Amino acid sequence: MHLLVDAVGFGIAAGAVIAIGAVGFSLQFGMSNVLNITYGALMTLAAYLGLFLLGRGLSAWAAMPLCAALVGLASVGFRRLVVAPLRRRGTGALGMVIVTVSAGIIVEYAIVAVAGTAAQSYGRQSGATLHLLGMTLTAGQVAIILIAAGLMLGLHLLLTRTTLGRAMRATAANPTLARSCGIATERVGDAAWLLSGGLCGAAGVALALTTVSFDFTLGSVFLIPMIAAAVLGGIGQPYGAMLGALVVGIASEVAGALWDPAYKDVVAFLILIVMLLVRPRGLFGAAWSARRLLA
Amino acid sequence: MWGLNLQFGVGGVANLAYVVVVAAGAYTYAVLTLGPPAASGGFQHYVLGLRLPFPVALASAGLAGGVTGVLIGVTGLKRLRQDYQAMVMLVVSLMAGTVVAADTGLFNGNAGLSLIPNPISGVSGMTSGWPYVGIVAACCLIGFVVLRRFTTGPMGRALRAVRDDETAAAAIGKDVVRLRLVVQAAGGVFAGLSGALLVAFIGGWSPAAWAPVETLALLTAVIVGGMGSDAGATVGTLVVTVLLLQGVQFLPEIRSHPGLKEALGWMTLGAVTIAFIWVRPQGIVPERRPRHGREAPPTHVGRIEPLPPPASRPGAGGEAILEVERLVRRFGGVAAVDGASFTVRRGSITGLIGPNGAGKSTALSVISGFLEPGGGAVRFDGADVTGRPAHELARRGLVRTFQLAREFRGLTTLENLLVAAPGQRGEGAPGVLAGRRYWGGQERELVARARGLLAMFGMADREDEPARNLSGGQKRALEVMRALMTRPRLLLLDEPMAGLSPRLAERLEEVLLQLQRQGLSVLLVEHELDVVDRLCEQVVVMAQGRVISTGRMAELRTRREVQDAYVLG
Amino acid sequence: MPTSSAEAAAPALRVRGLRAGYGDAPVVSGVDLDLACGQVAAVVGPNGAGKSTLVKALLGIVGFVEGEVVIDGRVTTGMPLERLARLGVGYVPQVEDVFESLRVRENLDMGGYLLPRRERARRVERVLETFPALRPRLDRYVETLSGGERKMTALARVLMLEPRLLLLDEPTASLSLSVSRVVLDQVRRLADLGKAVLLVEQRAAAALAVADWAYVMVRGGIAMSAPARRVLDDPAMREVFLGARASAGG
Repeated sequence: MHLLVDAVGFGIAAGAVIAIGAVGFSLQFGMSNVLNITYGALMTLAAYLGLFLLGRGLSAWAAMPLCAALVGLASVGFRRLVVAPLRRRGTGALGMVIVTVSAGIIVEYAIVAVAGTAAQSYGRQSGATLHLLGMTLTAGQVAIILIAAGLMLGLHLLLTRTTLGRAMRATAANPTLARSCGIATERVGDAAWLLSGGLCGAAGVALALTTVSFDFTLGSVFLIPMIAAAVLGGIGQPYGAMLGALVVGIASEVAGALWDPAYKDVVAFLILIVMLLVRPRGLFGAAWSARRLLA
Repeated sequence: MWGLNLQFGVGGVANLAYVVVVAAGAYTYAVLTLGPPAASGGFQHYVLGLRLPFPVALASAGLAGGVTGVLIGVTGLKRLRQDYQAMVMLVVSLMAGTVVAADTGLFNGNAGLSLIPNPISGVSGMTSGWPYVGIVAACCLIGFVVLRRFTTGPMGRALRAVRDDETAAAAIGKDVVRLRLVVQAAGGVFAGLSGALLVAFIGGWSPAAWAPVETLALLTAVIVGGMGSDAGATVGTLVVTVLLLQGVQFLPEIRSHPGLKEALGWMTLGAVTIAFIWVRPQGIVPERRPRHGREAPPTHVGRIEPLPPPASRPGAGGEAILEVERLVRRFGGVAAVDGASFTVRRGSITGLIGPNGAGKSTALSVISGFLEPGGGAVRFDGADVTGRPAHELARRGLVRTFQLAREFRGLTTLENLLVAAPGQRGEGAPGVLAGRRYWGGQERELVARARGLLAMFGMADREDEPARNLSGGQKRALEVMRALMTRPRLLLLDEPMAGLSPRLAERLEEVLLQLQRQGLSVLLVEHELDVVDRLCEQVVVMAQGRVISTGRMAELRTRREVQDAYVLG
Repeated sequence: MPTSSAEAAAPALRVRGLRAGYGDAPVVSGVDLDLACGQVAAVVGPNGAGKSTLVKALLGIVGFVEGEVVIDGRVTTGMPLERLARLGVGYVPQVEDVFESLRVRENLDMGGYLLPRRERARRVERVLETFPALRPRLDRYVETLSGGERKMTALARVLMLEPRLLLLDEPTASLSLSVSRVVLDQVRRLADLGKAVLLVEQRAAAALAVADWAYVMVRGGIAMSAPARRVLDDPAMREVFLGARASAGG
């Protein structure tokens, strides 16, 4: 029983990291209709950037916003230099996925070229532990849960209360109509990629902070729970992704505690496959999803 | 490699999980040829261990690949978007790697399997690998021949049609689900075989050997070479393996960065893939269109080929070939078709008209099995066919065309027609295996029939043109010709005249009247009412989902309810 | 559409020799239109005549557009869609006319995207005076509204910028007869407030009843251009919709 409660606590912590990543991924897809697999590699990039900054004496908490900003800019650059021109050339959805897979591999192996394939670690001591509602969490985990909650709240306010956020949702819902209202959809798209890239960077550092050690495949392996969370919530729908992340995080940690830690990702994977076969539009149905996924 | 081309290029399913299938073959081969775990000193753990002979293990590996391919392909049956499918495939391959690496009981986990025997390893005195290379080469040759038969015959044509437009393929009676699974299975078999051959050659196999980047390498080969082209796949493989992967071996080794060379190799690979999609998406060797010899001159130039004998069972159905009864179809809360009833008399051309949004096209889609009915019944030739799938109805002889032309873009004009012919010998397993000998005779007849149709619409000179290059009007004409190739008994035409040049439109009217005299029944949705006037004895008027009037066009014009429906809306 | 009151002002919309379509085939060709402020011009015609394509061509959102489109004295052919909003052009498409996943209030807010925030709140109040039925629906997501409420949301949204020229593509399509009457009455009132309205309609009789001028479109061209009243009473109208022999019996 105690094991289970602890697992739920770890699940919330894992879900927090997944949420940061999945929300950004989902937002980006909703805005641009591109399934950006490069996202995983950019998370890895953020983790390694964090490693570099830590080596320069920065604290992890100071490194996180910096990495988020840098990866956000990289994300905008990728949109401007690759995604947008290809879109204008009429590249189809399938070609686009292959391009983002390729770009992801370029980023991954650029990291290998610089930092090698050896496992890396932020080398943090586990620090103080906290007891909450019977769950035992490290201070780092609590911090990440709080950061994730803060980011989600901030994103929620941005999307619903600000003109830019509303313009993003309007553009995702109906680009032509958005333009006819005078919304500069290209600039709004850039802003969305900056934002989702920033979330991607934050998620990368958070992930590196919560894992014992990582290598250049960190982000691509993390695509499994992240995409599962996004699909669970109805891909393209940031709020769904938040909830999906919690479900995936808790389900995999509990399964890991009950059976074998190696099967954490299997649970995420099973959730993904079952959702795709049964309800590809996500738990909350078509109404929640900004994009049609059925051909 | 050819296996991936089959799945990706021909089948239109981006199988980023391809490496998983290769691995399935490899592991199957490994555990079947290895001795029991205990016998090999107990340093590796795995299931089975049957020490089966090479050919049996190889065949099993192919089978395992086929099954894996089908399992992975099942996600495709939900008709998800292509990029979404691709993403799922990627996740599948990541996942499979994780599971196999983590589970030490199944295939010895992360360490992988080693000391896997190959057919010559037991033969004394054979220390070099060359005899085995010979075996592999022979297998590849056989594989290539089978693959060519698969992709170039009627089977490959049907598969490419499904890739280009599933809905239209169903409309001409192709069982889309079956065909897609066939592609998955066939591609899987090839992948499984290649995995087995590979693992027997290296003698060992571990999860690290099939990271997703390996799939990208295969994918790059297909894209560089040209999708859907066997020669392209071969060229692409050579380019990718020789130039890129082996090429980096010649770079100087930098001691401080041991993995740098490989990293640069993979980065180049990614860049090449993006560059090709950007600059030359069709690849070095684009998909080739088979030309048909001149040996089959058009039959029946200038007059209509005879229809098949009226195949309806005697006594069945009586006067009406189609009876629609209180048909309902809702979208959300709106009833697009709201209890419409009408009949089409055998051998008649019946018009279906009405203002925008009256529900004509929706009714057509429900009748032809493209939309599920929300209520009511459809009887075709005396049999209740309510809610039957489109391809089944097409095979029974109830064939529709679409309002917007849905040509198979990647097929030539002639192929667009050939693919529609029913009961092709080349579309089954014997046809694929036996090759041209088996279906060549039938094919010649079909070519002759297709050329007859093309000549009739003055498009004989366009037969080798890819259909995507036709003009809008020619595409519409092709749509009707393709439906006629299926030898329908009831043809549902959805605004066939829209976008046709006056000359083609006139020709189409003549053709329809001639066919009618030979016993064809037609339900014609059309908004050019003059055309309806000339062709149809009986006209059904729909408005707001219901039939509001029925009669001859001239009478209908004078009826108040029809005028109101049109002018008031 | 020369009427005494409008002659003085520059025409809100002037179109000469418009030719537009997709791919290489024109759907509309040789179209001339004139529209002054305070007037409703109805574009009517049978299915597939090219009415929707005409509206999209005016906005430059079809495959290709040739000819001259002048809005408020400025040539707008080839101008990006988002700039047209600044010129005071409001567009309500036939379908996908609202932001489905946004609340009604947010839809209106996006309609006023180009305005400062405080001004937007004032305008929301003003358009609610025109569409009071929307007030209790402000915090609902549009996808939960009825067809009529949706269309009102769409109309209210374009009014946020107080456009001088309104392009309405079949606003009554998929609405019941009674609701479409309400919508068309609103359209008339907007024109009486001084806006120029180009009203594309399938329901010819209802549209002509609120219009000043009528353009009858057939096969991509303007077949008839006359005061709305005259077209409405003209037996030839029925011919246009039902073919050559309609007037004989009707």
